[in-house]
Amino acid sequence: MGRGYKILLVLPFLLCSALPIQRDADKDTTAILQANYLYNIAKLVEWKDTAMRNGNFIIGVIGGANLYQELIKQYSTRTIGKQPIEVRKLPRTADVERCHILFVGREDLALLPEIYKRMQGQPTMVVTEYAGALEDGAVVNFVKVENLLKYELSLANAQKHGLVVGSTLKNLAHRVEE
Amino acid sequence: MNMAQRITITILWILTCMTMQAQGDPLVEALRKFQAGDLAGAKTLVDQAVRDPLHAEDPEAWLLRGFVYKDSFKDTKAGPEADLVRNEALASLYTCIGLDSAGTYRENAMQAYDYLARTFFNDAARAMQELQDERARALFDNYKEAILRLDPQANLRKREVEFLNALGTVYTKRFDQDRTVLNWFDKAVDTYRKVLSLDPENYGANYNLATLYYNRGVYNIQHITAEDDIPSIQRIQEVSREYFQEALPFMLKAHDMNPDRRETLLGLEIIYYSLQDQENSDRFRELFESLPPMEQD
Repeated sequence: MGRGYKILLVLPFLLCSALPIQRDADKDTTAILQANYLYNIAKLVEWKDTAMRNGNFIIGVIGGANLYQELIKQYSTRTIGKQPIEVRKLPRTADVERCHILFVGREDLALLPEIYKRMQGQPTMVVTEYAGALEDGAVVNFVKVENLLKYELSLANAQKHGLVVGSTLKNLAHRVEE
Repeated sequence: MNMAQRITITILWILTCMTMQAQGDPLVEALRKFQAGDLAGAKTLVDQAVRDPLHAEDPEAWLLRGFVYKDSFKDTKAGPEADLVRNEALASLYTCIGLDSAGTYRENAMQAYDYLARTFFNDAARAMQELQDERARALFDNYKEAILRLDPQANLRKREVEFLNALGTVYTKRFDQDRTVLNWFDKAVDTYRKVLSLDPENYGANYNLATLYYNRGVYNIQHITAEDDIPSIQRIQEVSREYFQEALPFMLKAHDMNPDRRETLLGLEIIYYSLQDQENSDRFRELFESLPPMEQD
């Protein structure tokens, strides 16, 4: 017989869910956005220090594990001008090596006072993600505005680090501190 | 007494009556063939019998035809032919019930009719598992039609909710296989929304709809590349924000229904995170982490 003779009960539909939500690194939307912002910001800033215009373009990351992964995945084969991008995951210490961009994630904010101190006058753009960062010394700070990730920047801090910020970057910022 | 026994007794009773009444009658011959397991022969004869004015209004004849076609359906491989045979069986049994003013055959006819109607539902479930959504829909419509034909007041809401939830899952799976085909996304959304219009408290539909919207928002952001400039990523974010905002009330509703479900706590943590609402994201993460560890099997 082609079918079972007795089907007395109605078979239930399997109640399965859509793909469940998970904390996957590749679904970290903030990390994806930050990585792209950093890449675009790097393209729109000029480092006056001639020593910084040679060799690799180094992006150092303290904390921000998913951001680091995203930078490696999407941007580590790219260049800024003629400089190949090199992404470095840095140890959680204020003793930071020289890099073009230094991102410090919110889980490592305690390191920042010392980092600001050590970076004074250095050609490094410090990028962070907490309220009041520009006042403390960051050049770029990621901010959350109306459920969107945007950035604010300090031209004064940029100047202190020998950075020339292009007009496009200024115009697209949520806030610019002169 | 089980169904098979009841059927046998009924058939014997019919046989006895008919044998006494009319030797050579196609209905009697059809019954003999049926009893002998010759379904093809029985079908030919019973079809002939119900066309005969002598039996056209005879509930016995239609009952036998219903049984013959029912068994024939069971012997036929699933597909269009089986569908036709099943429809004939159902139509015959329905006719029998309508003609049987004394109610003599009603119970047997109803049981067989109910069995066949359920096979529509079960086949719809099988089609669903094989991601044959169109066939599943058609079979489920047949199921509803069959049930309502016999009982116009039948409440099929629970079954419809169950079916639509499964259908939504099929559409979601199709969309997840290729997220550039937005038709599947739209169908999944429409289907889950239909579930919620029937049953606003349906946990699965609330959770799945939230997940669907969330994943769509994430997908847009995941496709940001180095070629996207800052205005582009801001536009992409705005589009994704709408999906995250759409997802939120459904996930909140699912959470309200089951406050200790890990999946909704995690869902809310991540939706708020994608909405750049760190405070609420952290709040739901803490709630998630405060749950006791899951039991190991």
